[in-house]
Amino acid sequence: MSTASIVVAVCAFVLGALLALLTIPVLVWLERRTAGLVQDRLGPNRTNIFGFRLGGVVQSFADVVKLLIKEEYYPSHIKQGRWIFIIAPIITFTAALLAFMVIPFADTLVIDGEALRMQPIPIDFGVFWYLAIGAVGVIGVIFGGWLSHNKYSLLGAMRAASMVVSYELPLGLAIVSFIVTYNTVDFNAMVTWQSETFFGFLPAWGILIQPLASIILIVALFAETNRNPFTVAEGESEIVAGFMTEYSAMKFAMYFMGEYVAMNTASAVIITMIFGGYQLPWVTTETLLGNFSYFAYILMFIVPLFVWWMIGFMKKNNRVRPSVSSDSGRAYETKVVSIFLIIMAVMVDAILLYLALFPNALATQIAVTLIQIVIFVVKLMAFNMFFILIRWTLPRFRYDQVQTLGWKYLLPLALFNLFITAIVVVGVNS
Amino acid sequence: MSKNIITTPRYGNTLKDRLYIPAIYEGCKVTFKHFFTNLNDSNAVDTLEYPEEQPRDITSRYRGLHRLTHRSDDSVACVACFMCATACPSDCIFIEATQRDDDKDEKMPKSFSIDTLECIFCGYCVEACPCDAIRMDTGIFSLTGDKREDFVLNKEQLLGFKGAFGEEKSCARD
Repeated sequence: MSTASIVVAVCAFVLGALLALLTIPVLVWLERRTAGLVQDRLGPNRTNIFGFRLGGVVQSFADVVKLLIKEEYYPSHIKQGRWIFIIAPIITFTAALLAFMVIPFADTLVIDGEALRMQPIPIDFGVFWYLAIGAVGVIGVIFGGWLSHNKYSLLGAMRAASMVVSYELPLGLAIVSFIVTYNTVDFNAMVTWQSETFFGFLPAWGILIQPLASIILIVALFAETNRNPFTVAEGESEIVAGFMTEYSAMKFAMYFMGEYVAMNTASAVIITMIFGGYQLPWVTTETLLGNFSYFAYILMFIVPLFVWWMIGFMKKNNRVRPSVSSDSGRAYETKVVSIFLIIMAVMVDAILLYLALFPNALATQIAVTLIQIVIFVVKLMAFNMFFILIRWTLPRFRYDQVQTLGWKYLLPLALFNLFITAIVVVGVNS
Repeated sequence: MSKNIITTPRYGNTLKDRLYIPAIYEGCKVTFKHFFTNLNDSNAVDTLEYPEEQPRDITSRYRGLHRLTHRSDDSVACVACFMCATACPSDCIFIEATQRDDDKDEKMPKSFSIDTLECIFCGYCVEACPCDAIRMDTGIFSLTGDKREDFVLNKEQLLGFKGAFGEEKSCARD
């Protein structure tokens, strides 16, 4: 164990924890603002700290504080197994969090000939870990639904469990087709495989090589994470709030946050498996390392361009209408954030210029890793936005329609796809 | 079978409908359009930023908070006839009558209070009043208070409100 390996392991773990946990408030806020904008409203944009509202993201932190200081209430009819009632949301939350921990954020970092994985849990069988741990989350839902001693909770938990059973099969079969195609169970090797091209010009992303399996994967993951249009487990028009009916305060928040971590994890799995993970299309890690100065010069243009666009966006949208007399510090906020962004852009540009002019193997490698992490985060948030926009587009499936879709369409399609994949792979390799 | 029976056409059985994907695409087109239009210019979103922006669509027929009107010499127009209290479906008007000394009328209210927590803002009191003494034209739509007693408006408060649409004095008593 060298010092570098310990530092990288700690960094990867901290990054993973931050990406999983710090995105929860951001995702909750994104969900509410997106819902507002889709429905021609504004969404939460008032809460602020010293006039800094950051588009309203402070609201989520205020909500967390509110849930933390709420009364811990236990329904009196829960006599036995109260401790399982308490740990049930924790199981769901922890399972979703652990499943996220095997996603690679960047390519393997090679320092002094030592390969260091940029994964919080550096294992090379990540797909199995994800499938095993990801399915544990529903156990928390079943515990919660059963121990609530409430028919709505029980119905919700039963629906969640049956959905997992129905959709774990097509999900597993779709993933098996990817394993057969990529010939690996390592997420990082999958990304490396996808950074190649096929037919000479198309990036070898899973969505282009395995379109059917990709669609099945996306649909099954929507169902696994209990997102619309598969929210039958908490269908409030039929069964109040499903398994969450008897939960309140932080116990409810655990379920709620677990849902968002699961969504985040699903997005990460989708982009890692079928959208090339942390790679840009046509750019492998070797290309990035070999021609770093060119990429540095391109980035030096993109970063100020982004900052310029961001400042323009803030100036246009972070103000009140003419009919309102006071702008409650919005102009001041825009000014401060603009100055901060400009300073950041100048610093990033200076570092990139230094790296481009005075190449240094270790520094270049770390810079490439950072670039890949940024690409990963951008892709992750883009896919989270897709999850959110789909939620505000589609109505909920009826319960029997969910089961029909799972058993009668997705499962045969996944089997058929696996069959074809196996034949093609055997044919190509023999 | 009667010819009046209408056969409702059933949708959703064609291949295009069962694939879901074309419908999802059409739905996404709508929501994405709204999302990006509003994201690009959030000030064009047609909402009222309430505490800073006040409603602009309160018309003269809007039933706001009640007020008691005055005569031309600024005395109270009410003659304490109890018509409004009788008409009130939620029994929220409490009147105590007393002798009026200035020869304009025989009676006037000693106290006149409206419990706005009970009031359903139906406007029957305005309809019932023979003296145009009670009106709901203040345009006030929100009343706040710390305790229940704050919401019981007495005679002085009711006389203090101004009409939002002109016509300050009572039209039936001078």
